[in-house]
Amino acid sequence: MSESSKSKGSVNLNPSPTLQCKDLHEYLKSRSAQFLETLYNYPTICLAVYRELPELARHFVIRLLFVEQPVPQAVVASWVSQAHAKEQLKAAEALSELSVWQEAPIPGGLPGWLLAHSFKRNLKVALLGGGRPWSMSSSLEPDGKARDVAFLDAYALERWECVLHYMVGSAQTEGISADAVRILLHAGLMTRDADDGSAVITRAGFQFLLLSTAKQVWLFLQHYLHTAEKRSLSAAECLAFLYQLSFSTLGKDYSTEGMSNNMLVFLQHLREFGLVYQRKRKAGRFFPTRLALNIACVRSDNETLEPADAGAAPRGYILVETNYRVYAYTQTSLQAALLGLFAELVYRFPNVVVGVLTRESVRQALRGGITAAQIIRYLEQHAHPQMLKADSGGIRSESVLPPTVVDQVKLWESERNRFTYTEGVVYNQFLSQADFVALRDYARAQKVLTWQSERARTMVVTRAGHDDVRRYWKRYSKSS
Amino acid sequence: MADDEVDPKEYRWETGYEKTWEAIKEDEAGLVEGLVAEFAQKAARKAAAPRRGPVRLGMMRHLLLAIDCSEAMNCQDIKPTRFLCTLKLLERFIEEFFDQNPLSQLGLVLLKNKRAEKLTDMCGNVRKHIKAVQGLTNMNLTGEPSLQNALEYAGRVLKPLPGHASRELLVLFASLTTCDPGDINTNIQALKTDGIRCSVIGLAAEVRICKKLCQDTGGEYGVILDDVHYRSLLLECTAPPPRARALDAGLIKMGFPHCAPLSAQPDNNADPPITQCMCHLEEGEGVGTEGHLCPQCRTKYCSLPAQCRTCGLTLASAPHLARSYHHLFPVDPYEEVPNEGQAQYCFGCLRLFNDLDKEPPFLCHQPPDPFPHQMCNVIHECPFPFISKHQQMFLRSDFWPGGVVFLHFIRLHRCGRCREHYCWQCAGLVSSTLHVCPGCAARPHLYQRLPDTS
Amino acid sequence: MADDNTPTDCSLLVVVVDTNPNQRYIIEDPKVLTNCLDAVIAFSNSHLMQKAKNQLAVIGCHFHKSEYLYPSPGKPLDVRQIDGQYELFTLVEKTIKMRLVNLIKSQPQEDKPGESLLAGALAMALCYISRVRRQLSPGLTMSSRILIVTGSSDTAAQYINYMNVFFTAQKQQVLIDVCSLDKHLSLLQQGCDITGGLYLKVPSLEGLLQYLLWVFLPEASERSKLVLPGGGRVDYRAACFCHREPLSIGYVCSLCLSVAVVTRSHEESTRDHGYCFVAETSSTVFKIGGPLATKPKKKKMKI
Repeated sequence: MSESSKSKGSVNLNPSPTLQCKDLHEYLKSRSAQFLETLYNYPTICLAVYRELPELARHFVIRLLFVEQPVPQAVVASWVSQAHAKEQLKAAEALSELSVWQEAPIPGGLPGWLLAHSFKRNLKVALLGGGRPWSMSSSLEPDGKARDVAFLDAYALERWECVLHYMVGSAQTEGISADAVRILLHAGLMTRDADDGSAVITRAGFQFLLLSTAKQVWLFLQHYLHTAEKRSLSAAECLAFLYQLSFSTLGKDYSTEGMSNNMLVFLQHLREFGLVYQRKRKAGRFFPTRLALNIACVRSDNETLEPADAGAAPRGYILVETNYRVYAYTQTSLQAALLGLFAELVYRFPNVVVGVLTRESVRQALRGGITAAQIIRYLEQHAHPQMLKADSGGIRSESVLPPTVVDQVKLWESERNRFTYTEGVVYNQFLSQADFVALRDYARAQKVLTWQSERARTMVVTRAGHDDVRRYWKRYSKSS
Repeated sequence: MADDEVDPKEYRWETGYEKTWEAIKEDEAGLVEGLVAEFAQKAARKAAAPRRGPVRLGMMRHLLLAIDCSEAMNCQDIKPTRFLCTLKLLERFIEEFFDQNPLSQLGLVLLKNKRAEKLTDMCGNVRKHIKAVQGLTNMNLTGEPSLQNALEYAGRVLKPLPGHASRELLVLFASLTTCDPGDINTNIQALKTDGIRCSVIGLAAEVRICKKLCQDTGGEYGVILDDVHYRSLLLECTAPPPRARALDAGLIKMGFPHCAPLSAQPDNNADPPITQCMCHLEEGEGVGTEGHLCPQCRTKYCSLPAQCRTCGLTLASAPHLARSYHHLFPVDPYEEVPNEGQAQYCFGCLRLFNDLDKEPPFLCHQPPDPFPHQMCNVIHECPFPFISKHQQMFLRSDFWPGGVVFLHFIRLHRCGRCREHYCWQCAGLVSSTLHVCPGCAARPHLYQRLPDTS
Repeated sequence: MADDNTPTDCSLLVVVVDTNPNQRYIIEDPKVLTNCLDAVIAFSNSHLMQKAKNQLAVIGCHFHKSEYLYPSPGKPLDVRQIDGQYELFTLVEKTIKMRLVNLIKSQPQEDKPGESLLAGALAMALCYISRVRRQLSPGLTMSSRILIVTGSSDTAAQYINYMNVFFTAQKQQVLIDVCSLDKHLSLLQQGCDITGGLYLKVPSLEGLLQYLLWVFLPEASERSKLVLPGGGRVDYRAACFCHREPLSIGYVCSLCLSVAVVTRSHEESTRDHGYCFVAETSSTVFKIGGPLATKPKKKKMKI
């Protein structure tokens, strides 16, 4: 027998990597402890980090906030009831990861926990007062031309859609600045076309479009911060300013007085993306918009962009029926285009688009690297309030969408994934049937046989089992 | 709601043909706002129909509930079938009944194949009744019911009860016929003399003998229109009825178990002895230190209210009594006043009164922008029983092809005592659940709602 | 009940602060009220700090009326940061202090401070909670609770109001927490027990903020995970209507459910009260089994 001829099957085990969107916790986790230490000098960051903590961890922090000495770890553990010990460990781990607390021995030699000094101090400042005011809060003369919330919402939406429009290359937009393009390229959401050097959208870019606006903004800003150093901006300072914005009040104006030059540059960038509104570059005041406010609540999976007050914010506009029909009450072509990524558009009216989810349309989206989960998330996120209210007739499903549609989209996806890739080694050209049978039976007994054909005298053995089978073959061929 | 003002002399089919659609008049703009406003107010007023207190109510109710289990219950005119719908509603009814009347007792009886079969004994155990009702799902429904046997059974069970207890029978009757062994009129007379109040909810059509039964014994007779109406008829029966004729006022001896360790025990540190609770004697559960001890004989019960098995004392706790107090001391209904800017915000919930509280309700063909949430609520809950279910469906969907219907209330509500203004949602909350006027309860001169001495 | 363990998206806390000058600790040292108020404000802000969507209302309960201290009706105050404190927290603090001053100023000079009418403030809180629930955007879940901070004693005069409020709260799955600064409050403790809230009588006013943060900050879904003070046993005995004394065995009128110590005629008890409990029953003659055991009359006392 000719020794085996090898072929490798590890072409691409995961053909479409999904776009990762880290939340603040993950983002900070990936930073150095030194960076964190700098960040904790800003009360805003402390406040934001506090809100990102797991619920039990929040209570640990608040209980330790007024304690100056280290507290024995056993004592902290005893605050949580026995049944939830696992969650206690997770909370403690999260606190250590973000260096919110450090291990510190207490006089008796027992291990104890001590809150990081700067974190403790600045969280207290944020909660109880004291310290310096945040940079943007110098007092202002009342503005004669104050802008109301509706105006700011419209402005923010328009600016942000500009970016999105640029990505999909819609004709109807004016261009965006070179800076923004660089960020999109850096993030891998767009790439330079090989032919003419113009920017075109990537697969990741399409997935980006399907995220909720708050996630889009956050992801975009993450990449902005990555490139911040190149622009001689301090990432920590920028992040602190961002969170400062997110803790501001919508519809109120803030002063640019006392802001450093770097921050003024940063502010201009934010203005371009619609996170803040400024009438003129040198106006001396700015209004944060809802985009900036939403940075703080990107974390929860089920965030809806709706505030408590009625009607002002972007609202869901999509209705999905059990017959796979999709009605989108929208007037922007962008949203219609997004829907067109995975649905076949049937009718187009001034204020409503009707589409239908078909196997072909969904498969096309899947081919484009969009996952079924992303499609479902998109439809859920933009579900019309009526969908949220509708009673699913006693069947309490997790999704607001009709279960048939959710299942079918998932089935269409798994339909494409009929191949499972296994690395293996082919054994063929056996000289006798007996040789083949002996080797095959051995491989089968070792549970390393992937496939065999008696007629062609061919078998495939997993990569892990290859060495073993080969040794056996050597022994076998020697002895016979 | 179908015909509230029943004219006994004239039947519906003898009256002239009603042209219901003629009541709807469009104004110049083609809107029907005025009419809708009238409907809305009528419904709101009916919902808040006050029970003028203080009245004498039968608070310790003994209600026997007879459920028709004949072939007629198989009918599918309410979904999924009359019987299954009844069972579903009954669960809610039983819970609500004991919520409203914690010291009362309930018994269930089935009208099955010309017989009246006991399902549960008269008792105050919610779980037991609900379990029994849930167990009926797969029952075979055959034959005819016998109303007379049901009345006979009710007389037998309810007659021996003490004079102070209110005795009631509620029949859920689906059949249009009854198969009786003798003259039912004698039974009706007997029930009347015993002061047993009989009510019937008909699932099909009006039946004369049922009507006579209710009229003679002072009960209510209702025939359902659809499941929503069924539900409201059933739930109406949870409020305690005005005191029946033959009801004695009596003082009932009652025990209030005290949970705290008894002072008689010398050492408080010692664990209380482990004892067996009496309600779970058969199942062998309920062993432990927790429980309520009968103050008279020291037997233990794990839940209240209960009747002591050893000495027969009724055991209850103060909140059980207090649950019924709102029937005796109802809040005065708020008066409706036009919104003329006399108050900026609702005293209860701090909601700013806006234009919506000023304008009349309207029907419009384009969704307003921005979409007013208050209206959504009205549509969502649809408190208007006069609108058919079919119409309600349209009301709920704000993308109805023909246009959109929005309804809301016009006026502010003012408490006559504390003179504070409330929005209609708060007014509804106060009259339906809260039974405390927030303004009055915070004023030193007004907070006690005891009847005037005069 | 609200003790299902699924975490909610946001939570609403309504704090009812008793500001009645009648409370013992205020009579002893009026400055303590400021300390207590600071603690309550810090606690309220900590609640807002937990989640971005958390909401807060504070109601001041004075002897002549109750009023919202936060949020203020109409336009919010225009606040600018003066130090490193989060703007919203500054707004909360400023609004509460300003409105409390107004509330105290509005008290009638001629009247003697009576008891604190907490039941009215609780009813307001329930109205507010149901409004916020109505306005909640679809798809969001919210848990709500009420915290009462009081140093007054509870009297049976408000019994019916209290009970109605407790049952409404129970129905609407609102937790009622009580932090007593002075005496043991058996009525309010019943409310905690009925609604599933926590009851705590603080041993000293020194570390009030710590007590509040430790015990009352966790919301309903988190409470089962933490070790918190147990409820203790609740006295559920009924109080008789004649002497307001808790009873173990009593007699209940079948019509009006009034509770009496001994069997005696309604006329007699009516004479006792000075009014008839249920006006219409005054002519009722009760059937009494057994000889009439009259108990020596005690003078009216309040529990």
